[in-house]
Amino acid sequence: MSVVETAAEEQSVVIMPSGRTKAIGVIMAVIGVFTIWIFAFGSDASAHSQITFNPINLGTDAPWLVGTLTVASRWTNLILGLLMVAIGVEVYVRRPRRLVMARFGVVAIMFFFALLVWVARTPGPAPVPYINLTALLINASAVTMVLIFGSLSGVMCERSGVVNIAIEGQFIGGAFLGSMIASTTHGFFSFYYAAIVGAVVGGLIGLLLAFLAVRYRSDQIIVGVVLVTMLTGLASYFTSQVFTPFPQFNTGNLAPNVAIPLIDKIPVIGPVLFNETAFFYVAIILVGVVSFALFKTRYGLHVRAVGEHPRAASTVGISVERVRYINVVLGGAIAGVGGVALMATSGQFQPGYTNGYGYIALAAMIFGRWRPSGAVVASIIFGLSVPLAQLLGQYNVPVSIYILNMFPYLITIFVVAGLIGRVRAPAADGIPYKRE
Amino acid sequence: MTNTDTVTPDESSPVPPPGRARHKIWRPSAQSPIVTAALALLLGLAVGAIIIIVTTPAILDAWRSIFHSWSGIGHAIKVTFDNVGAAYRAIFTGSIVDPASLWHSITTGHGWDNTMTPISETLTYTSPLLIASIGVGIAFQTGIFNIGANGQAVLGGIAGGVIGSMLHMPMVFHLPLTMIAGIIGGMIAGAVPGVLKAYTGAHEVITTIMFNYVIYSFLLFVVLSTPFQQPGQQNDIGRMMDTTAQLPPLFGTSSGLRVNYGIFVAAAVVVFAWWFLDRSSMGFDFRVTGANPTAARASGINAKRVIVIVFLISGGLSGLAGMVQVASTTHFIDGTFLIGNAGIGFTAITVALLGRNRPMGIMWSSLLFAALGVGGRSMQAATGIPLDLATVIQSVIVIFVATPVLVKEIYRLRGSSESTLQLANKGWNS
Repeated sequence: MSVVETAAEEQSVVIMPSGRTKAIGVIMAVIGVFTIWIFAFGSDASAHSQITFNPINLGTDAPWLVGTLTVASRWTNLILGLLMVAIGVEVYVRRPRRLVMARFGVVAIMFFFALLVWVARTPGPAPVPYINLTALLINASAVTMVLIFGSLSGVMCERSGVVNIAIEGQFIGGAFLGSMIASTTHGFFSFYYAAIVGAVVGGLIGLLLAFLAVRYRSDQIIVGVVLVTMLTGLASYFTSQVFTPFPQFNTGNLAPNVAIPLIDKIPVIGPVLFNETAFFYVAIILVGVVSFALFKTRYGLHVRAVGEHPRAASTVGISVERVRYINVVLGGAIAGVGGVALMATSGQFQPGYTNGYGYIALAAMIFGRWRPSGAVVASIIFGLSVPLAQLLGQYNVPVSIYILNMFPYLITIFVVAGLIGRVRAPAADGIPYKRE
Repeated sequence: MTNTDTVTPDESSPVPPPGRARHKIWRPSAQSPIVTAALALLLGLAVGAIIIIVTTPAILDAWRSIFHSWSGIGHAIKVTFDNVGAAYRAIFTGSIVDPASLWHSITTGHGWDNTMTPISETLTYTSPLLIASIGVGIAFQTGIFNIGANGQAVLGGIAGGVIGSMLHMPMVFHLPLTMIAGIIGGMIAGAVPGVLKAYTGAHEVITTIMFNYVIYSFLLFVVLSTPFQQPGQQNDIGRMMDTTAQLPPLFGTSSGLRVNYGIFVAAAVVVFAWWFLDRSSMGFDFRVTGANPTAARASGINAKRVIVIVFLISGGLSGLAGMVQVASTTHFIDGTFLIGNAGIGFTAITVALLGRNRPMGIMWSSLLFAALGVGGRSMQAATGIPLDLATVIQSVIVIFVATPVLVKEIYRLRGSSESTLQLANKGWNS
């Protein structure tokens, strides 16, 4: 960190230390061996697995139907496992300087597929002889969307040099008031109002954080954690004071899906990506908007300058305080909408139903190296792990459901520790700025 | 706690020297952290009062009536004060002493058990909170933010519960063994993020929070699908600890007072923390690492070793706190152990911050926060206002304590103390 890098430095390729590259190679090979050992030889030699792609409820705008993929469980998993081992060995031996993460992504997808094949094997313990991939991905898209909102909020705040640990609190605030508004208003715009209120409450929490962190230079991590504690307490308090006596304020309406004509007919992709709630499209659009704003506009250059070297930014006439206030409030508003989105896809507000998604979103942002696009990839990984754990429980996997529920959090720990390790945050991230 | 409220800023007091102004801690001046804490407490109670006002229908109705006639304003103010007063009175009488009951006991000489119950409850809840907060505070002093204290306490409680209920032996061996089990349980939960931070650089804020969720799942697993589940039970309840593994009440079970030998464990932990931080060479290494990581590295302190050991100590103390919590109150673990507003690990973070990470400061602030929690329970029983109000008040207090300049501005105090609470390692680059 001795060299002060300029904010314009953004194109540099991430080069991993070779020790970590070797470790990642070993990890991939171990995953491959595990696949062969458990998934391939754990299936009957004669077992077959079916993976279906058509949505469960075929309504009027169902996609074009496609057939079922049937594969021989043992042989498929054996081949997949061998491929994983091969990629792991290749990384270990050659130590490529680039695209290690891309290879890891391929291994992760193969592992995911091998897992599905193993789970759906017949004869096997599964209650139904097939797995519906589309249904799984639809469930994953809901969690992924929430995490995208959260990690975008993190990117906004941290690029300007303020650590926003309070994302979880903004989720809680947005979900609470969102539920209230969505339950008391009716019609098409119900969730539209809820989103606005969620943005306002998230922005206000962000304003409080900015007020304490920018004006009074409090420790941002401490203030953030305490804000989450406070909002958890407040949500619990108001739930028993308002929602329990007046259940009509918390009916748990779900947001309606808005199908995009024509492209929602594409198998798998259509139902997963183009037949979603409006919040999902907002999240996708926001990824583009935040990316563009941060990396292609003058204001984005100011933001990154403030996050990397506030004194230099101040010298050329950028108001550090103003930029930080604006970004933290906007980031808070994004997280607040994320809270409404969470509520709009999972129903009635309950204390503690954010499940630590705010913190997982932070991890996703770090994994994505403080870029919106990277954060999306990380959000997908975490978003998949949540419904996958639930699905494995339904398919009678010989592991307790409580252990399976650890899955998303263990993956987060594994990703943060194993794949990322020491990271390079914006240089002034978390450090209060004091004007001379 | 409230006797410092009357302190006025002393303009003639000299500005304390920079650095650790520990010996001047009792000097009543605007610089004193105690004054800041007391003023923050008042602000926290004020915020709590506002929340009570906007959520109590009776108060809102009274204020609504002034739209009809101005004569209602006196009534509205009276209703407001009655309700808020009742809530705060319940917190006080439920956690410290009920004056009526005390007067009765003094004049008649009977009912002392009844009179002492609130303070006994407060002390009962102080012990685990104090132990966990010391653990968090030691980590803070080293520049490590251990948000995983709650998970570590849960794992310590599980380990203590297993040893305390599934082994049988005389108390002389059983109780110490149960405590050691709790410490080891917490150490295991603390070691994982510690080793990960030291050897892979994973930031502890993420890993400890994630580990909390992992341990909650593990708790459900343990109490629902292992031999540790109470025999003959379908619900998420663990086995009852043997009496030989419980921390016995100080005045015997017949008194009904729950205050127990846990307070001696807590006192021992305070003494240990004071000795460790102020007198031992490893504690010195810890504090140097926390105050200036670069200087620590330059002077040859092994940063990785410090990180792992601080997590072991912090986790071990949190685990002991979980064990004390089980062994002194419920004697069994269920699926809601330390969840929600019972999560002493999260309260411990606020306590450590309020106590400025010093053992004595943590002792006073854990007494205060335990009193708020216990009093909150009696407030919930007496007035129906949810216990979570105590959590909110605690958080508000800590936010103000973390921002002393704001407190001084609100009260228009003089003094240019810049000693805000800061972690040494900021952001993710540490």
